[in-house]
Amino acid sequence: MHSIQIMRLLLKQQIKSQRQYPLSFILEIFSSGLMIGFYFVSFALVLQRFGQIGGWTIGEVAFIWGITELSFGSMDMLFSGFDYDTFGPMVRKGQFDQILLRPVNVTIQVLGSRFVLRRLGRMMEGLIIIIYGISILNIDWTVGKLLYIPILIISQVLFFGSLFIIGATTTFWTMERLEILNIFTYGGSEIMSYPMHIFPRPIRLIFTYLVPAIFMSYFPAVYILDKPDPLNAPGLVSFLAPLVASLMLWLALRFWHFGIRNYQSSGS
Amino acid sequence: MNAFLSIVRISFRRQLTYRAANLSGMATNLFFGFFRAAVLITLFNERSSVSGLTIQGAITYAGLSQAVIGYLSFFHWYELMQTVYDGQVGSDLLKPQNFLKYWLGIDTGRAFGSLLVRSLPLFIIFALFYDVILPKSFLQWLFFLLSLVFAHLISFAWRFMVNLAAFWTPNALGIGRFVFGLSWMFSGFYMPLDLFPDWLARFSRATPFGAGFYVPIQIFLGMVENQTLILSLGLQLLWIVVLVITDHLILSLGIRKLAIQGG
Repeated sequence: MHSIQIMRLLLKQQIKSQRQYPLSFILEIFSSGLMIGFYFVSFALVLQRFGQIGGWTIGEVAFIWGITELSFGSMDMLFSGFDYDTFGPMVRKGQFDQILLRPVNVTIQVLGSRFVLRRLGRMMEGLIIIIYGISILNIDWTVGKLLYIPILIISQVLFFGSLFIIGATTTFWTMERLEILNIFTYGGSEIMSYPMHIFPRPIRLIFTYLVPAIFMSYFPAVYILDKPDPLNAPGLVSFLAPLVASLMLWLALRFWHFGIRNYQSSGS
Repeated sequence: MNAFLSIVRISFRRQLTYRAANLSGMATNLFFGFFRAAVLITLFNERSSVSGLTIQGAITYAGLSQAVIGYLSFFHWYELMQTVYDGQVGSDLLKPQNFLKYWLGIDTGRAFGSLLVRSLPLFIIFALFYDVILPKSFLQWLFFLLSLVFAHLISFAWRFMVNLAAFWTPNALGIGRFVFGLSWMFSGFYMPLDLFPDWLARFSRATPFGAGFYVPIQIFLGMVENQTLILSLGLQLLWIVVLVITDHLILSLGIRKLAIQGG
């Protein structure tokens, strides 16, 4: 069978099983969107008192916040097989050994092993925040900007997905989920929701050179929203998102394959 | 030795053995503390105080809220639920120890272990980087610690109740995620409640989430004193009583309903 067919089959089963309890399924979609949406609501309410954050208004923050939420939610649905919260136990229990034994591409199997539909809630939440942001902003639209937004979202999905793949790979050695990786995944998505020039230099440097999150949200937003950049970066950096994301994915997959080659079972 | 104290002690020791997990969790919380502090500093933008909260108080809040999150474990706890699904609950109910007290013992040990190896070092490291506010008197420290213990009891009684849903439905996880989601906002974990619009701040503080999460922080920062302080502690006590009574009621109904499916 073709890999894509297998993938489709795996996903179909996943979706079927998650719709077993329709009421709790709908509740879960709703609640995952609501819960994460409360963070934005809290921030927006607080921002009312202050008017702006680092020269950015609520609409501008909503724009990058929503895009990040939409991308992270999509990634969290597509790449949930690589979610190290569940991949760790999978390795520890020896289930990954079974995957290795099957004559099907390992990456496809892991990708299809979990597909968390309730992330639709977070995606919808992101979309609502984007629409809210755009509706109160007066963005000077150009064809370039309109074309760049979908490219940016896809780049972010790949960027976050790469982080998940790297996180999953580390469990080959640690056997445990490492909470510290949350700094880069969930922390990364939180940092990308804010205009990044507001953060102290050490945090910014980590999220520029170690985990290049700044190319995924702040720099592109400077271009789309025509914001002045206190960091004085060259204009080109706004357009590096797809390049940086592709590079990240390539590195993540190389690390993943390296991990598989050096994998020693947990013995259970 | 008292059985309850033995449970606490064993659970406390178990928490300490997860060294890598504790360290990694602490580092994560610390990072978020720095991160939230940066957001608040930018928001304050040279203003010294906004709606009663000083900039130094806001910074302290960022570190303290991250420090106590592991101890309180307010928003993420599905342990009891899992024992209902895997059948372990059957033997737990047979133990010659009150079921609620048994879990309280386990959770208290976990909480104090976490306080010692996660909360305390986190706040000390945070204080090395930022100028934080500390309680000014011995009495204030005492009230803070008391309200911290109360906060844990509120958090536990609330989580216990949420987990009891597993006695009725095969998917209590979804319900848990939903109600825990609600508690995030009103607790003041996302943003200091004082910065919310006044009506919402007042409402949030009155909920068990505000009482269980934000009150100890307010006492630590010296934002409530004298009468208001006593009232705040009274509110905490009230929630403990209400929640524990409700726990007992729901539990006694749930036990009658419980059917253990293998295990």
